[in-house]
Amino acid sequence: MSGTRESSRWRFLITPKWLGWHALVILSVLGMLWLGNWQLHRAEAGNALSWAYTFEWPLFAIFAVVFWAKTIRDEVHPPAEATPRDAVALPGGIPAPPPGGPRLAGGDGEPGEDDEELAAYNAYLARLTKEVRGHGRWHGLR
Amino acid sequence: MRLNVALYRVMAYVTGVVLIVLCILAIMQIFVNDEAAVNVVGTIHGGLYIVYLLVAFPLTRRLRLTPGPTVAVLLAGTIPVMTFIVERHISHRYIEPAMAGGAAPHPPVPQPRS
Repeated sequence: MSGTRESSRWRFLITPKWLGWHALVILSVLGMLWLGNWQLHRAEAGNALSWAYTFEWPLFAIFAVVFWAKTIRDEVHPPAEATPRDAVALPGGIPAPPPGGPRLAGGDGEPGEDDEELAAYNAYLARLTKEVRGHGRWHGLR
Repeated sequence: MRLNVALYRVMAYVTGVVLIVLCILAIMQIFVNDEAAVNVVGTIHGGLYIVYLLVAFPLTRRLRLTPGPTVAVLLAGTIPVMTFIVERHISHRYIEPAMAGGAAPHPPVPQPRS
């Protein structure tokens, strides 16, 4: 199981959506380097303010590459600190709802002192499932 | 997490305000031909934006945002008024659920009954 899983982990990188992101990163990095070069020429021509931008643009280009790499890394290896509980409350990997959906209390007709607790917990589960639905989607941007 | 959120909010507002000031100055510059103010505020915004990126990016990783929202958060610092809009959206949709999930005690988990 782990072998096929390992190789398919990276497969998302060649989906059209991700190829689009790769292209965007490459183009924006080239653009930023070009802008830095342009500012360097302006600075050498005597525009003192351009010296700041001469260093800023390459810095932004480095940021873009680092951020891009980190985003991919997190996508492949989700941070270990994320507990299943976080996974429920957060977008990203939308976990499957509990098997059979939120359990309904009292359905089995077995009386018990924790029925009230169970009902509260089921309501909580139902609320979480409802809140999480649609997370991870960004209107028009993905 | 809390510190990161606080820093992000501060930087979103500071960067946003300075960017609006910059826009007003840039418009005024059309009528008053004096570049000095625009240059100073422009450089300040450039520096603030670097700090904004350094604060906002770790937060997008903590919230595990997908590339779309991540790019939206990072670019917001360069578009007038966008930091305020994006900050509101991100707070409501991602930060508050994450904080609630992290802070609230576990509800009593009853044993599965069959």
